[in-house]
Amino acid sequence: MKDDEQDLYFVEGIAVPQTPLPGEEPANWGKTAVIGRRQTRVDAYERVSGTAVYPSDVVLPNMLYGALLRCPHAHARVKKVDASAAERMEGVQAVLTGASLGRQVKWPYNEEVATDLFDDRCRFEGEAVAAVAAATPYVARDALREIKVEYEVLPFVADERRSLATGAARIHGAGNRLKADSYKRGDVARGFAEADIVLEEQYRTACEIQAPMELHGCVANWEGDSLTVWESTQGVYAVQAKIADILGLPLSRVRVIGHYMGGGFGSKLQPGKYTVCAALLAKKTGRPVKIFLSREETLLAAGNRPPATMTIKAGVKKDGTLTALQFTGLASSGAYPAGGISLLDWLVRDLYLCANVQSELTDVAINAGPARPFRAPGHPQCAWALEQMMDALAEAAGLDPIDLRLKNIPLVSQGREGAPPYTTTGLAECIRQGAEAFGWREARRRTAAGRKEQGHLRRGVGMGSCLWVVGGGGPPSTVIVKLFADGSVNLNMGASDIGTGTKTVMAMVLAEELGVRPASIQIEHADTGSTQYATPSGGSKTVPTESPAVRSAAIAVKQQLLQMAAGELGSPVENLRYGGEYIEAVDSGKKVKVTGIAALKKQGVVVGIGYRGPNPEGKVVNPFAAQFCEVEVNTRTGEVRIMRFLGAHESGRVMDRLTFDNQVFGGITMGIGLAMTETRILDENRTGKMVNCNWHDYKLPTALDVPTDMVSLPVELRDSEANSTGAKGLGEPVTIPTAAAIANAIYDAVGVRVRQSPADPLTMKRLLAEEAPEVRS
Amino acid sequence: MTVHFSYVRPASLQDAVSQLGSDNALIHAGGTDLLGCLRDEVFPAEKLVSISGLPELRGISKTTDNGLRIGALTTIAEVAAHPLIRESYAALAQGAAAVASPQLRNQGTLGGNLCQKPRCWYYRGEFHCLRKGGNYCYAVNGENQYHCILGGKNCFIVHPSDTAPALLAFGAVLRITGPRGSRSVTLADFHVLPERDVTRETVLEAGEIVTEILLPPASAAMRSSYRKVRARQAWDFALAGVALALELEGGRVRRSRVVLSGAAPIPWRAVEVEKIITGSALESEVIHEAAVAAMTKARPLGKNGYKIPLFQGMLAEELEKMRQVS
Ligand SMILES: Cc1cc2nc3c(=O)[nH]c(=O)nc-3n(C[C@H](O)[C@H](O)[C@H](O)COP(=O)(O)OP(=O)(O)OC[C@H]3O[C@@H](n4cnc5c(N)ncnc54)[C@H](O)[C@@H]3O)c2cc1C
Repeated sequence: MKDDEQDLYFVEGIAVPQTPLPGEEPANWGKTAVIGRRQTRVDAYERVSGTAVYPSDVVLPNMLYGALLRCPHAHARVKKVDASAAERMEGVQAVLTGASLGRQVKWPYNEEVATDLFDDRCRFEGEAVAAVAAATPYVARDALREIKVEYEVLPFVADERRSLATGAARIHGAGNRLKADSYKRGDVARGFAEADIVLEEQYRTACEIQAPMELHGCVANWEGDSLTVWESTQGVYAVQAKIADILGLPLSRVRVIGHYMGGGFGSKLQPGKYTVCAALLAKKTGRPVKIFLSREETLLAAGNRPPATMTIKAGVKKDGTLTALQFTGLASSGAYPAGGISLLDWLVRDLYLCANVQSELTDVAINAGPARPFRAPGHPQCAWALEQMMDALAEAAGLDPIDLRLKNIPLVSQGREGAPPYTTTGLAECIRQGAEAFGWREARRRTAAGRKEQGHLRRGVGMGSCLWVVGGGGPPSTVIVKLFADGSVNLNMGASDIGTGTKTVMAMVLAEELGVRPASIQIEHADTGSTQYATPSGGSKTVPTESPAVRSAAIAVKQQLLQMAAGELGSPVENLRYGGEYIEAVDSGKKVKVTGIAALKKQGVVVGIGYRGPNPEGKVVNPFAAQFCEVEVNTRTGEVRIMRFLGAHESGRVMDRLTFDNQVFGGITMGIGLAMTETRILDENRTGKMVNCNWHDYKLPTALDVPTDMVSLPVELRDSEANSTGAKGLGEPVTIPTAAAIANAIYDAVGVRVRQSPADPLTMKRLLAEEAPEVRS
Repeated sequence: MTVHFSYVRPASLQDAVSQLGSDNALIHAGGTDLLGCLRDEVFPAEKLVSISGLPELRGISKTTDNGLRIGALTTIAEVAAHPLIRESYAALAQGAAAVASPQLRNQGTLGGNLCQKPRCWYYRGEFHCLRKGGNYCYAVNGENQYHCILGGKNCFIVHPSDTAPALLAFGAVLRITGPRGSRSVTLADFHVLPERDVTRETVLEAGEIVTEILLPPASAAMRSSYRKVRARQAWDFALAGVALALELEGGRVRRSRVVLSGAAPIPWRAVEVEKIITGSALESEVIHEAAVAAMTKARPLGKNGYKIPLFQGMLAEELEKMRQVS
């Protein structure tokens, strides 16, 4: 190889940031060369060409296929399971039932509640009853049909609003109330007394299902007493911990790998019963076992955003000062405690300046699949209620909705003990800059004028704002960066890239610090056997957690290279400057190529270890946002067309502008689903079964339901305190205010409040007939 | 449980008919509806007889009387794109374009679209409903938000086809070949109301194959359209739909056919509307009266009452558009 080709991994002329001396904290980045630009995904080719191996692609020699038998009833007792016919079938290698497992294996629904893996009480449709492993997936499914189960069908309750009614079916011995929570600051009675306007309203968001593209599932394989699991997951270490716990294995005997994965939205932060079944079946047969669920199974039993019924009473003075917020939330985790009311009141507590706040939350059981975290748990539901209420208050006070919000911007996190300040709060800036870019005031004037004309196609504009309760990330995270003798780089981190571009962003951090080309970086990640500990990719914390650790590992590499070069250049380390391809002595002007450093050649590699440092003490790191949209409502048919959307997001530093925009567009799309099309429908009167349990009747929005005119507007406030890269989370705030903004736009268009999601023609036509009969139809 | 199952692809229509003579043998055209039904175990099949090897069942051509012949195996996408259909039978092209998704339109056939099974989620799901031989219709007191408001009795499906309303409005005739030879059936007589026989959707007898769909010549005065309202903008069935085929003369409606989708277990002729608008110049009051009349016989269930104002609003909108083109 020619000498100049050895340096093909470096970018020419890139200004690499100063290397801090060992023990010094790195300075904040100033102007960046790589960070912030539009960087194509480092794994784009693999993903698009199909060479990327997802867990669902994994095929091992001698592998068997497993499947789970699921309870077809909303609530039933298993009286008898006869698997003898299935066991005799050709190709069937193993069958697991409650009887064959005994009471050995428990499934923990949370810290307090655990049942047998195959419990004789099935509290939701889709609960696991038995499992098989067979030579082909078809034989496995056929074998399930040969397992004879005798059920005693029990009464059920399908709606959270009926769960606590007298006579409602009892799901747990202690009753259907799973959890209660309350919060209070100030005195709401006083607040209402001070108010000029007091409004009270009830809202509801329907149950929404994560529905990631790749189904839930895994491949399990034992080598001796060591288990390896390829799981479609957001966090390999979280899966490892739960599997080890359930099977009573040391962590060192459970290796979980999840390089690629096709989406989770929170539903893949943990393994499923299928993971345990695959491991048990693989143990029993001595062969690898693959279990991937069907789409129907994931709709029933792999999580959801709980349905929530919410009441808000709010008081405001004529000048727009909020005086009191009182919130009641009733939501359902499903059949087992699963965070049904998790963060459901957070925006009420924290988003707007208000001295008097009170909330009561109740989580109740219904006979339906347990919830799992879903992109910004609690927040879109709360925004649906709070942001519509803010709109109603603004109207009552004769204020523009953005002026009411701007009047009540907090600089501290009032919902937290001691009301600590935020490092930055972009709420006001997101509203101002978003409104400006959207043309808000002009659009409001236009839609108000349009209302006077009596056409049946009515335009309306609406907005909503939000914060996200976390999103600052934090320790622990360990990252290892290796720079090889030829200047190419290997990055080793435990975090999963759940499709959000984690790998790409981390490669950009390395490129920024080391001056290498992103494409020259090899990335190993998401493997408990060979990469470092990381918390799951959730909570919009992956970039702010991992990027400072990557930066610190890169700095450790640079520090060692400088040390090596010091001898060679005859200058002390303080006088050396790492410039990417070259290290230069500022005193003598002498230079050495990094790949020419003798010690590097001899050692073969430089290994840098980086850790995520602590977050700033006494401060809160949260992202903020405001979204704006325009809709057209056909009053004759109840159809709502979303004409355009703008998301203004303050999430700290924009790391990769492409992945940033991807998140904004994706989050808005998902929010459109919550607002317009998605709802789990249970047969509430007769069977409790999910009637729209398929990919077609459970309506995710399509490309035609999303406007082509979507704008992503980063509001980039420099956050010098958050962490060493200045990044904050983005993946969740992008979907929080979307549905509420749509509901507000619909109100602006036709004067009808969509209190219950979704705003499909079914709802709209009913509301228009009931509430606005004067609107021409 | 491995059922006895076979798959054949005959090369002649006669062979296809005789292959269909065995028990539980079903016609397989594009398979977009049939395979879903089999996967979900809506009904059993022991033999599939593919008709995809019969080229004579494909294609669109003019008939000697200046009408149109559409082979039953013609794909929905071809129907949507065909210049003759777009020009003279616009409602059919629009209806075909509103079907499902591009993939399904490329694979699904017009014959299959007319013969497809109901989309009621109880019928398709794990419910032993009346239509499947059970004792009752789950929709009556159930989740009936998508069910019918007209023509229901004991069973409350809606007919899922977006092409049938236009075809019915144009007076289409189906050619059918079976064990006893060939026959013609008007589309108006093709679909079966549940009160007549809840176990079948069409008059097809065992072994009968729809071979072609014939359309009478389109008069130059004909204006037609299909409008579909749905909860999702693609890949979704009609909540409400209407095919209009009006002959206009000097701004007046000389003849009219109005057919609803999403309303009833079969494509539903709104004769009340036809009566009121025929002879009129589609004045606002006439349109209003017609829209109201369309729903006078409607009997909503617990959760589909929204369909009444929806149909009225949609009809008003579509008839006004017609006035503007007339
Ligand atoms: C997800 C989804 C969404 C859909 N959305 C819509 C929609 O919005 N609007 C709409 O109109 N349709 C919709 N459809 C239905 C679709 O248009 C039909 O499935 C398709 O037209 C059927 O054609 P095929 O050739 O695939 O029929 P197949 O699936 O092969 O057959 C369907 C049925 O008709 C019978 N059959 C087929 N051809 C003949 C024949 N020549 N003679 C006698 N019997 C025959 C078969 O035995 C079978 O029972 C949707 C379907 C799916 C799966």
